[in-house]
Amino acid sequence: MTTAAQHAYDSYEALVEDYFEKGWTDGLPIMPPTPEKVAAFLERAGLSGDEVLGTVPTREVTCTAQQAAANAVMAGCLPEYFPTVVAAVRAHLHPKGNCHSTTGTLSGAAQAVIINGPIRNELGVASGAGCFGPGFRANATIGRALRLVIRNVCRGIPGFLDRASYSTPARYSFCFGENEEASEWEPLHVQRGLAPEQSAVTVHSLMKMVEATDFTSRNAEGVCDTLVSNIRANGIAGDSWLGEDGNVVIVVGHEHHRFFNEEGWSKADIQQYLWPRLNAPATSATDRMARIGKPEGILIVAAGGAGMGASWLLLPHLALAITEPVS
Amino acid sequence: MELEWAGVPSIAIVHEEMRGSAQAIARVSGCPDYEFLTVDYPWVPIAIWSKEECLDLAEIMAPKVLDALTGQS
Repeated sequence: MTTAAQHAYDSYEALVEDYFEKGWTDGLPIMPPTPEKVAAFLERAGLSGDEVLGTVPTREVTCTAQQAAANAVMAGCLPEYFPTVVAAVRAHLHPKGNCHSTTGTLSGAAQAVIINGPIRNELGVASGAGCFGPGFRANATIGRALRLVIRNVCRGIPGFLDRASYSTPARYSFCFGENEEASEWEPLHVQRGLAPEQSAVTVHSLMKMVEATDFTSRNAEGVCDTLVSNIRANGIAGDSWLGEDGNVVIVVGHEHHRFFNEEGWSKADIQQYLWPRLNAPATSATDRMARIGKPEGILIVAAGGAGMGASWLLLPHLALAITEPVS
Repeated sequence: MELEWAGVPSIAIVHEEMRGSAQAIARVSGCPDYEFLTVDYPWVPIAIWSKEECLDLAEIMAPKVLDALTGQS
């Protein structure tokens, strides 16, 4: 493995300025990845530094645990966050996570890190009001750690292998938890085959985020029809490499979730309602087919706070949403 | 609160989901004990309500507003 060179600095400011100069940050200051901190992170995850978390063959990149730990320290993570970061890195570097494409694309695709299981509450991962935005250390730094790995290990550097025309603020960090306590809904990681007590991370690369607002529907079908029309306004082309396993993530907001609870709709009920309607043939340029191979490819996640009659659609880039257990 | 300060008896109606925010505004405005009437579900927090929903809500809230303004509550 490649061991990072060690540098000595006279002050924190000098270190930060040098990291800016070397292009090792996302444009924001970082925490110093001292050998002691990196070792503490590795110990917390029970990993040796040379453990391989994943590769990007097209870039001849191998990501080790030591590299991930250094970037997690830089992102501002606490040691106890690191096992979750490791799961996110593994998920993103899964072959069908398609790192090379989703971090290099002109479209500026972002990576949503969705956390399930007991670790959410142990780390204080926000899943309610404001969960997409700033103010929550676990959300901010776990998402940032993945993005720093993409930059510093996977060479996703703007103007180099990151060819985004605009990119997106979601590329600084985009991490939130599922609000598993909001209902009896089966959590995302359980739907994907893991035990409820198993903590897990799902990484979904998204081409764009679309807010599906609906303040007027007063029942589950009305909300679903709004989700369908908003997804179909954008369309999902599908991809032969991904086959029938493609995904779209629907983050169901508090106000919409209420109607599903009141009428006893499960996630499976929503998937069965949406799937044929999404896959119906296009009728116009603004009513396009959203090609999702199977109902289970529609990933339903409960999150967000009260007030807005809105849900969010995380429309996919060329990748599968990959779920990895947090060990 | 501004109406109250201008000498116009008034009462604010807020949704239960917004109670915390309303109390925070009252606190920073120097009226921590300001009282509210609250609306809860099935009325959604953002008031894009049908005419029927508005009328139903008005029937429920009007007596409460009257009581609050006349010191009956």
